[in-house]
Amino acid sequence: MYKEYKTLKLVSIISILLSSFLFSNEVNIYSHRHYDTDKKLFKIFEQNTGIKVNVIKAKASALINRIKNEGKNSPADVLITVDAGRLYKAKKSNILQSIDSKILKNNIPKNFRDKDNQWFGLTKRARVTLLSLKQTKDTKELTYEELASPKYKGKIVVRSSNNIYNQSLLSAIISHYGKDYALKWAKGVVANMARKPKGNDRSQVIAVASNIGDIAIANTYYIGKMVNNKKKSQREAIKKVKVIFPKFKKSGGTHINISGAGVTRYAPNRKNAIKFIEFLSSSQAQEIFAKANYEYPILKNIKSSKLVSSWGSFKDDTISMNDLGAYNKDAIKIFDKANWR
Amino acid sequence: MIKLIGDKIILKKSSKLTISSFFIVLLICLPIIIIFSQIFTQNSDIWIHLTNTVLKEYIFNTFYIMIGVGIITFILGFTTAYLTSLYNFSYSRFFNYALVLPFALPTYIVAFIYAGMFDMTGSITTFFLNIFNTNISNIDFFDIMSIEGAIIVMSLVLYPYVYLTVKLYLSFESSAVINASKSMGISSYKIFYKVILPICRPAIIAGISLAIMEAISDFGVVDYYGVSTFVTGIFRTWFGMGSIQDACKLASLLIIFIFLIIFLEKLQRRNIKYKSSGKDFIPIYKTKLKGYKNILAFIICIIPFFFGFILPFMQMSYWFILSYKDIIDDQFLYILLNTIFLASISAFIIVILALLLTYNLKRKHTKTTNILVQISKLGYSIPGAVIAIGVLVLFSYIDNILIDSIKFLFNININLLLTGSIIAMIFGYIVRFISICINNYESTFSNIPSSYYNASKSMGINEKNTFKKVFSPLIKNTSYIAFLMIFIEVIKELPLSMILRPFNYDTLAIRSYELTQQGQIVESAVPSMFIVIFSMISIIFLISKTKKAYDNGL
Repeated sequence: MYKEYKTLKLVSIISILLSSFLFSNEVNIYSHRHYDTDKKLFKIFEQNTGIKVNVIKAKASALINRIKNEGKNSPADVLITVDAGRLYKAKKSNILQSIDSKILKNNIPKNFRDKDNQWFGLTKRARVTLLSLKQTKDTKELTYEELASPKYKGKIVVRSSNNIYNQSLLSAIISHYGKDYALKWAKGVVANMARKPKGNDRSQVIAVASNIGDIAIANTYYIGKMVNNKKKSQREAIKKVKVIFPKFKKSGGTHINISGAGVTRYAPNRKNAIKFIEFLSSSQAQEIFAKANYEYPILKNIKSSKLVSSWGSFKDDTISMNDLGAYNKDAIKIFDKANWR
Repeated sequence: MIKLIGDKIILKKSSKLTISSFFIVLLICLPIIIIFSQIFTQNSDIWIHLTNTVLKEYIFNTFYIMIGVGIITFILGFTTAYLTSLYNFSYSRFFNYALVLPFALPTYIVAFIYAGMFDMTGSITTFFLNIFNTNISNIDFFDIMSIEGAIIVMSLVLYPYVYLTVKLYLSFESSAVINASKSMGISSYKIFYKVILPICRPAIIAGISLAIMEAISDFGVVDYYGVSTFVTGIFRTWFGMGSIQDACKLASLLIIFIFLIIFLEKLQRRNIKYKSSGKDFIPIYKTKLKGYKNILAFIICIIPFFFGFILPFMQMSYWFILSYKDIIDDQFLYILLNTIFLASISAFIIVILALLLTYNLKRKHTKTTNILVQISKLGYSIPGAVIAIGVLVLFSYIDNILIDSIKFLFNININLLLTGSIIAMIFGYIVRFISICINNYESTFSNIPSSYYNASKSMGINEKNTFKKVFSPLIKNTSYIAFLMIFIEVIKELPLSMILRPFNYDTLAIRSYELTQQGQIVESAVPSMFIVIFSMISIIFLISKTKKAYDNGL
């Protein structure tokens, strides 16, 4: 067995080396998305086009760094991230190129793609609050601003500010109201915390379900993953809370983030890369994003899954997706100053 | 096999050995030097912000973890190694093996499981709250998701470092002294304080420093438990603020921290007074414990084994049974073989390199090489992701030069050769893990008198035979242990593999991580289980191997 494997390995190494000298019909993806649903999508794309999809998955910042270091010889064609901030950073790092594609322009609304068409949003997720059932009576119209109000003292549970979703939320607040307000807001939320920030989004929901706090802050698709989880504690916990879509007073919209993709500057398979992103924006792919991963589709005529729709509807916040990246550094500094660990 | 290659290396002229070991260690140090060089860059606004706000906390927490993990791993590892090496008591033979097993569990998974059981909403907490019919706010509750919790969880998994190094040392290097003291009728209490503790000092410190280095380079546990350390700071600065430079600067500060530890260790080793004559390698004569002493010894050994292994392992097994059908497929089999292949080849290379470096130092002490070897040991304290940056910078630099020159000479376009190859991954593992091997060999070599080498040479025995006849038997067990440790480390390694891997290349640890990222905690137990199983098999195999060696009297 082991010997066979060794020869197999040798053959594969040789073939990789050989293939590097030949042109082959493939597309190389650097992706931050760790979801098994994506594998399904890649397979469909391979079947539809005959283009082989090669993938490396890691954190976006590490991938951006790798592309930068690999320079003009980088094998990467497409970079996929799970947040707008990193797409902005990739653009700033000068590793993406503008793509002129009618399909992408048609499929993706203007506010979900880069103004120079260097990156394109593919799915949306909202950062929402989950309230214990006893809280929901008087908080139908919760705002993000209110989370800092003293009336919620000792009630909020949220994860650490190491997490990009918290950083993006604060970036949105900076974009709306400026840094001074953002610091005040962050300090207010810290003062309202029921416990020190820890765990992941799911842990916050469980904390509310166990009465440690009354308000959890989490991303929408985690809720779907908890509803359909093998762990009973997660399925039970999610039954004890209600999803509330908070709004910004200023815009009336809910904070959203996108997962998106861009073609790299030195993409060796540029054409395939464009085809690939176009495919991800197609109704076939968007349907899978929505159904299997509980994300909100970017394509307008695709409906969210039944479960996702059952949480209610919301209006997107109006700020530019670029701001989420542009203010990320400031957001972290404010978290540090506000003692939000 | 290790011995054979060692022989081949020795065959070459000795000066060649010195020169090649210099270049090898230089190459290993380069990524560390690249990271460290960032400390000399100008202070950015981010750096000033960090020093004004969070740096103090990073230093304090990191220091706290160092001390905490150091003390607990010492207590757990040393007492158990002492008891199982010198005494016979109920199940002591079983504990010989069992006490190493926590080492097979990835720290972040244990942290996950412990939080699920013992935090405020945990299954065990709720169970007891229900029994006593009380509320969480009514009791003085120890929150596992805290810095103290992180220290406990990490210590439970890391104490086998101390256990293994001490045990190896006791059973093998110092049995003569211990037997002599025993036969002189010195009380076991005195033997403990006057003989064993001092004699084991190099091994204790080698083990503790490995545990500490692993603990402070951890990201998974501290991030999940909400503890800010240097490492969470490094990632926050890199990923969040987008400044690799400042992230590397933080890493450099961490490196200075570690350098201090290594320096102190060297210092104490220099002052060492007790040395085994190293004449006879006889198994230690074990005293049989009776009555309450027997029970006490049993309890002392069962505690770390139960909490470090049985409890988390039971939870994992339960999850494994729930979900293995959904996870195991052809693709999974491929990942499995990949991981084993990668771990064995990396471990093999690292053991050879470490042996070459330390043996050469033993043989001929050159200052520059010694300093470089000390630098190369720092890799273990640097988070895998940061090492990945160093490797990436180095390899893509070499690659791009290579590509440009080939294009210039032959006018052919080629792709990146090293970057994104298995070679890059293995090199990353070498940089990160070689210190484990070097520590092991150094502590073994320090117990072999230099006179052995000189005597052998003066008798006209050539280099090859000196190594083969004199050193090779003495270091055989260290080599096995080192191989085992690296094999397990590589199987468990996550961030470095993720960043440096080639296309479509997965390992068990990566698969497990991806599943937890998707919220499929239960399913993630399947790849983790295989990590644990392979680690367990190698532990059992290698311990029985070393056991045979000293049962035979060698």
